[in-house]
Amino acid sequence: MENHSIVMPTREKMFNMGPLLKPTLGNIITWILLSVGLVITVIRFTQGIGSVANLDDNQPWGMWIGFDLLCGVCLAAGGYFTTVACYVMGMKHFHSAARPAVLTAFLGYLFVVVALLYDLGHPLRLPYMFFFPGTTSVLFEVGLCVATYLTVLFVEFSVAPCEWLSHRFPWVLKWRTFVNKINILLTIFGVTLSTLHQSSLGSLYLICPGKLHPLWYSPFLPLFFFVSSMVAGASMVIMEGFFAHKGVHNYMDATHLRESDNVVLSFAKAASFILMAYFMLKFIDMLVQNNMHYLFTGYGAWWLVEMLGFVLLPALLYAKGSREGNVRLCQYASMNAVAGIVLNRFNICMIAFNYQLPSAERYFPSIWEILISVFVVTMIVTAYRFIVYHMPILYEHPNFKDEHH
Amino acid sequence: MNRRKFLTFLGSASVASAIATPSTAKASHTFPYYPESYGVLHDTTRCVGCRQCEEACNEVNHLPKPDKPFSDLSVCNTKRRTSATQWTVVNKYNMNGKDVFRKLQCFHCQDPACASACFAKCFQKQPDGSVTYDGTQCVGCRYCMIACPFYAPGFEYNEAWDPLVKKCTFCKPRLDKKQIPGCVEACPMEALTFGRRTDLIKVARARINNNPGKYLDYIYGEHDAGGTAWMVLAPANPKAAPIPPDNPVLAGPEFKQLGLDTHLGNQPMGELTYGALGIVPMIVAFWPVLFGGAYAMTKRREAMHKQALEQTEREAREDIALAVDAAVRKIQETEGEGAADRCRKAMAEALKARETAAKHGEEA
Amino acid sequence: MRNRTKLLLLAAFALAGAACLLFRGPDGTMAAKAPELTDSGALPVQVLFPVSAKPNPGAVGMKPVVFTHKLHESKVQNCETCHHTGDPVPCTTCHTVEGCAEGNFVTLERAMHATNIRQVKNGRTPESCVSCHTKLYSQRKECAGCHSIVKPNHNAQWCAVCHQKVPNMTQEQFAKGVAGKLDPMEGMRLAEATIAARKEVKYADPTKMNYRMVIDSLVDKYEPNYFNHARHIVSVERKIKGNLLAKAFHNSPRVFCKTCHHHTPALATPPKCVSCHNSRIDKKYPGRPPLKAAYHLQCMGCHDGMQVKRPRKTDCTGCHKLRVAQKGD
Repeated sequence: MENHSIVMPTREKMFNMGPLLKPTLGNIITWILLSVGLVITVIRFTQGIGSVANLDDNQPWGMWIGFDLLCGVCLAAGGYFTTVACYVMGMKHFHSAARPAVLTAFLGYLFVVVALLYDLGHPLRLPYMFFFPGTTSVLFEVGLCVATYLTVLFVEFSVAPCEWLSHRFPWVLKWRTFVNKINILLTIFGVTLSTLHQSSLGSLYLICPGKLHPLWYSPFLPLFFFVSSMVAGASMVIMEGFFAHKGVHNYMDATHLRESDNVVLSFAKAASFILMAYFMLKFIDMLVQNNMHYLFTGYGAWWLVEMLGFVLLPALLYAKGSREGNVRLCQYASMNAVAGIVLNRFNICMIAFNYQLPSAERYFPSIWEILISVFVVTMIVTAYRFIVYHMPILYEHPNFKDEHH
Repeated sequence: MNRRKFLTFLGSASVASAIATPSTAKASHTFPYYPESYGVLHDTTRCVGCRQCEEACNEVNHLPKPDKPFSDLSVCNTKRRTSATQWTVVNKYNMNGKDVFRKLQCFHCQDPACASACFAKCFQKQPDGSVTYDGTQCVGCRYCMIACPFYAPGFEYNEAWDPLVKKCTFCKPRLDKKQIPGCVEACPMEALTFGRRTDLIKVARARINNNPGKYLDYIYGEHDAGGTAWMVLAPANPKAAPIPPDNPVLAGPEFKQLGLDTHLGNQPMGELTYGALGIVPMIVAFWPVLFGGAYAMTKRREAMHKQALEQTEREAREDIALAVDAAVRKIQETEGEGAADRCRKAMAEALKARETAAKHGEEA
Repeated sequence: MRNRTKLLLLAAFALAGAACLLFRGPDGTMAAKAPELTDSGALPVQVLFPVSAKPNPGAVGMKPVVFTHKLHESKVQNCETCHHTGDPVPCTTCHTVEGCAEGNFVTLERAMHATNIRQVKNGRTPESCVSCHTKLYSQRKECAGCHSIVKPNHNAQWCAVCHQKVPNMTQEQFAKGVAGKLDPMEGMRLAEATIAARKEVKYADPTKMNYRMVIDSLVDKYEPNYFNHARHIVSVERKIKGNLLAKAFHNSPRVFCKTCHHHTPALATPPKCVSCHNSRIDKKYPGRPPLKAAYHLQCMGCHDGMQVKRPRKTDCTGCHKLRVAQKGD
């Protein structure tokens, strides 16, 4: 163990809150955002959705669904993408990337559900869907899969807190052993569930062909959502690695540091291919549906911006980056790709939705809605930092080294 | 794009299309057809925009009074939509230069998009034709509002504790008491005709046939979105040539002026999603096999790789042992037993040191 | 130019025919003198026979139509309104009872009665007798009131307006007519005799009917409406006075009553509206409006057609004043 700067919790000192409480600029901004978010949360839950959101009857789904749910789920696709690559496809050199990816996926899904509670009129009734299952609804499928997958992710992720808590409660290691045994089952179950609900998020919009602009509406929406979720998964692993290197570099062990560049380049290569395929899918779909004439309208120009600037461009950047072994370029490409995914989800949920309504009846999120979304992201980052500071995510704990080989 | 094409596209075509044929899907997903159900025919050529239906709706459903009184007809000049507190509104549209009024409310689809979209089963198509909503199990996700092609349901955004979706109920409580809906009763012009849906279609056809040139030869809602209980007749454009009967494409531009979309298709909106939902069991069944197979292949490859590696190692080790043995025997021959022992020891130590060094290097 | 030469030729033929008659001398029952031709040179009145390849087509009782060419010519802008091909030939040249290739197999029945005529993209859309008359009564302000509510009942009485009995016509003449070989002058004389035999219809006297009616079915909210029955009829009659089309088709004494007192025999004391139009909808007749709507559809429908601006349709109190709540109420 060369990297001795990693602060590992021990039986005597379980908590390592120092980095979270230090009054650095980042922490201060975090505290402000969290407290503002808390105030808006109180307002939201005591005064109603209308008191903070610009949602209306024409636009019942806005920022919270468009960003927190659609983007949140999509960007948490790194979990299934990495675990499948590592465990199922046997790319062992991604091993050090698997645990961070599972962590972000778990946090992503957890906070998708948290954000969903803001958007639901009756958040406490969320489990009603299991009591009165509306099996004809795509949303039922999404709900069922997200709930199950969140459980799967929790079990997959629970290895890390077990290792942390074992300092004080050694019996939790039994659970850890059990999870390690069924790891491959969890991974396959996870990818099945992910395929289902990632695509179903697109299927949600199949029911409203009259409302979504024809350039974005397609019977293949589920396919597009699934394919783009793979890109999002790969890109998020790269982008997250970039930020983790900036923020929590000294919690990474030698293996992680050694493998990280390789992970970036391999994922970049994969993402490049998938993005190209996605571009072709969308392009052919546009031709097949005879939507060419829409390209010469305002929405057509916007569609081209999305397709060229946020699908084709990152695909090419990824290709160049991975070919030349340029990690920095791959990281920029990942940001471009992630921005593209977010743009696509925004287009479908907000910008190209209700395209026929006059602009006066269109939706623009209120500052409070945006702040709630920022609040949720801040919570994710804070939870991520807390977990990284306490649990063996970016490093392997010496007690458990080599066990899973 | 129908369900079959979709399945075919997503691969595993033969398996998928063999198991999930459209007919079985229909039987399991669509709502029963109620031949005795009621409907309302809205004849926009008769509507004068008096808003009495709005007033009646407000009264019989005990909705909050609006800011402007119902006698103020200027509100028709701005486009309005239904909301949680206004379950019906009358809008004024300019149709080929003439003012035409149309009443907006829930269309009470034969196979409603909202019911198909609701994941907590709040919406029900009733045998009497109404689409009812049970707020006690509503989660408030508002997917029904996304799904509704008519922009009918409204949501109580400003209610903190029990926000619900609100829409026209077809005056279900009144229907149960053998009364007709409040708006229909209030209409002074019989622009709203209440009756069995099958009869109303006949009435509408008779009106179109008996008044050539007066109506567009298209009953909006007869087939649109899978058919609706509330249907609309629109005036014909006197300047244009009459359109052929039941032609949604040619009637489209005319109905668009009335704010109605004739391009929703003849299938219930929910059917658009059933293709995607039908693929779910396929993925559940096939994905584990696919990925399990990939895992098995990986394992096998790893095992073979490991075996090959071990063999190479063993051969190398044997080679070294033989070489060392040969060397030591030579030393023994030339320099005697003592030198051979020392040599053997040094060789073993050197090998051990190399091994540990190699192991260390792997780790670093 | 082609049109004009044809017209000139026709005029010349007609003149020649007339000259022949003159020279033949007074051997008929009627004095044969040169007929007064129309501006375009056609005979002023004609008998239109159901021209057919067979000797006596269709119903035996099918009566020919007496057509006043002169009157109709003065009402249209262009000969091509009826002579849609541009050739001023008789309709029966191309449109026979069975239809023939020249007329695109459009039968005489359709040529005269069709209302669902396909619009011709480039060029003139032909009109039939009925389509043109329908257009007139649904577009003219004074007609459109009643006719937005009542459409002519296509019964025997309606047919008989045009298909009149031609007095003095012999079987032989009829057979010739059907074959398209009747002498035009002979036809004209038959037509003149028919017109002379027409009787004028005497309409029921409005002053002998109810002068004022009280409509008080909404008394819970509104004061009763006093409907001036006589004035409405007199006003309508005055408006269409001198309209020959109206005069021809309004051929029964109580024809005006039928607008409102529809579906019932025209009697001096018709049944009340409420006897059919209940205040609640009738399950058996979903298309039948309830009483309130029946009144409103009737009054407003007629006012709409006649383009009566006031009272506005949404101004309830323009017809029945709002009832002020009284102490006893």
